[in-house]
Amino acid sequence: MHLHDGYLDAKTALLCTGASVVGVGIAVRQVRSCLEARQMPLLGLSAAFVFAAQMLNFPVVDGTSGHLVGGVLIAILLGPSAAILVITCVLMVQCLMFADGGLMALGANVLNMAVVSVCGGYFVFRALKWMLRMEDKRATVFAAAFASWCGTVLASIACAGELALSKTLPWSFIFPAMANVHMLIGVGEGVATSLIVLAVLRNRPQLVAGIKADGPATWAGFIGYGLLVALALAVFVAPFACPWPDGLEAVAGALGFANKATPHSVPAPLEDYRLPWVGSVTLATAVAGAIGTVIAFISAYALARILVPPLSSARKHAPSGD
Amino acid sequence: MNPAVEVRNLSYRYPGPRSGLALDDVSFTIGENECVGLLGPNGAGKSTLLLHLNGLLPETAPAEPNLWIAGEPISARTLETVRQRVGLLFQDPDDQLISSTVFEDVAFGPQQMGVQGAILRALVEHCLGQVGLAGFGERQPHRLSHGEKRRVCLAGVLACKPTVLVLDEPTSDLDPRGRREFKRLLQSLPGAKLIATHDLELVVDLCSRVLILDGGKLILQGPTVPLLSDEKLMLAHGLEKPHVLLHRHPHGPA
Amino acid sequence: MHPLEIEHRRIRLLHRVPPAIKLLVALGLVTTTAMLPRRPDALYWWPAALLGVLWLLSGMPLLYTIRRLLLFEFFIVGIGLMSLLAPASKDLFLSAFMKSNLCIFAMLLLTWTTPFPDILQELRRARLPAVMITTLALMSRYLPVLAEESARMQRARASRTFSRQHRLAWRNLANITAQLFIRSADRAERIYLAMCARGWK
Repeated sequence: MHLHDGYLDAKTALLCTGASVVGVGIAVRQVRSCLEARQMPLLGLSAAFVFAAQMLNFPVVDGTSGHLVGGVLIAILLGPSAAILVITCVLMVQCLMFADGGLMALGANVLNMAVVSVCGGYFVFRALKWMLRMEDKRATVFAAAFASWCGTVLASIACAGELALSKTLPWSFIFPAMANVHMLIGVGEGVATSLIVLAVLRNRPQLVAGIKADGPATWAGFIGYGLLVALALAVFVAPFACPWPDGLEAVAGALGFANKATPHSVPAPLEDYRLPWVGSVTLATAVAGAIGTVIAFISAYALARILVPPLSSARKHAPSGD
Repeated sequence: MNPAVEVRNLSYRYPGPRSGLALDDVSFTIGENECVGLLGPNGAGKSTLLLHLNGLLPETAPAEPNLWIAGEPISARTLETVRQRVGLLFQDPDDQLISSTVFEDVAFGPQQMGVQGAILRALVEHCLGQVGLAGFGERQPHRLSHGEKRRVCLAGVLACKPTVLVLDEPTSDLDPRGRREFKRLLQSLPGAKLIATHDLELVVDLCSRVLILDGGKLILQGPTVPLLSDEKLMLAHGLEKPHVLLHRHPHGPA
Repeated sequence: MHPLEIEHRRIRLLHRVPPAIKLLVALGLVTTTAMLPRRPDALYWWPAALLGVLWLLSGMPLLYTIRRLLLFEFFIVGIGLMSLLAPASKDLFLSAFMKSNLCIFAMLLLTWTTPFPDILQELRRARLPAVMITTLALMSRYLPVLAEESARMQRARASRTFSRQHRLAWRNLANITAQLFIRSADRAERIYLAMCARGWK
């Protein structure tokens, strides 16, 4: 999902960079106030860890393999602010050391994968943990699986919004394409994240910091991040989510982005396509998205049940830690 | 004349539900230019003791000091001076070599003490020369051999101009040549030295005295050769009589 | 997927240019290329020519260039194919393809001629927050260490794996990843102690 240069126009890149600077700025302030000096080297080592972990190939189908992105995993292990910093540093190194990801697009990549994915995913994680009434380990695994899936999908939606805002690709096409593909990719991320979190919980539970109770300083961060993510989604996604065809133009006009005459108007080849019993493709996308989310939720629960058997039988099994 | 290091009735228990004392009433001294070996089986508490000498443990300074460096007790006030006076070389050089270049890493310690500019450069180059790595300034750590990394760490510690050198397993993971070179290097360095090691041959060659730690207790301390020649004693504490002493009389010529 | 730095880069003229200038030039190149018209145009020749000259001056081997570009083609072609689904879009696809390759080429030149510690120095001068500088520095220092540890663990695990079941592979990889994190956390603790031992506050 690393965006390269050439796909975002200047205004979108600028917007993204601004938003990501704000997000990272909040994260830096949070880390400075909440993290002890003792944990500072852990940020650097975690960034190296994410990079190294991304080099591990998880086999998918014969021949292909996927790899972990890790934003929500780190958020669960270190907390959201540290995770934002860690993933930002990973993205910076990928861009500036390996040319993996664009320089102009760095702002957008950071916004998608470090801010939106981490904050959104972590929010889902905490919300689920708060709501679930089940054994602690299983609840954590369940929440981790679903939250990292959500993080992946949210990041892809933000990315789709940026591509559409740059008029690179039409929203009505790119949104379902990105969202659906990442709903599938997110499954891998969810499974991998939950397995890893479970293994860490079994070996060194005190390393899973993200589930500890927070103080007032972290609540300020929460609110800051929440606002930022909401704003980002509003700017990049909301104009398109409008059901009326001129929704995009209206919002863009209101926000002051003059639509320069481009050689090609925003093509929308699929809007006239109608599914037999659902109606327009927009509605179909919404339905598919809802179904996909429910399936992911149920799968996460099933996975948690398989991985963390009920307490009575768990005692009979030897710990799987290495 | 104050001894370089004095430890009196030092006890320590790690926080948490782990029971048992990591260090149990340990007392010893190290003279100004003395080289002392610290021996004991794994888990005896050697590393814990070494961390105390630099003030890294205990996490909060005790009410009554148990450690004195050149007559000064280790307390919250004196922590900075202690860290400069006692140079600690960690077991894994990768834990100590944190910077992107050798120069930056050796310069780390003096920079924390406020040294800058041309003086800093001269100091770094001098220390690199001392360990036989002149000209290595721009090299990157992960391209160095294990022995070279160890020497860079030593240079970084020497750059702080310590009076006491404390080394944790300095020759582990070194090949025979690396070991010989490091031993020669240590012999050339002045000042008090405490070497925690499993390398018994090194202890025989370098150390005039040994301390034997087991289960957190200081079992015995005394001159190297007679102590290490006592096979029964060695085996009782998870050690063994070094080969180099197998055919040497404990009270004969060294 | 992410090959680590290539050793023994031949030092050429471009290596001696101050890193700040290289960063700004790269940013400028990338921005101007992105702002070019959305159809193949004669204007594309300008950045292409400039990049060609820079490539010659940089001494970047041809095979290396092609290999790295190919790595990213998957992404470029992927997005590009989506443009093909819109009407009158062969131009859009071609322009996106060309612009993207030009920008990636610019970034490849930047990373080839500018070692990361130099870039870090520039970021430090640009007053990036200290916690980020420390994180970036430690990350670049320990990346090879962790990569090696991970490779060792994988080899050790592979030597005791006798089945090709994907389920087991995922379990093993997850365990290795968890172990890697735990070891990294332990190492971070030791690094903290080592830094304090040399006076860090």
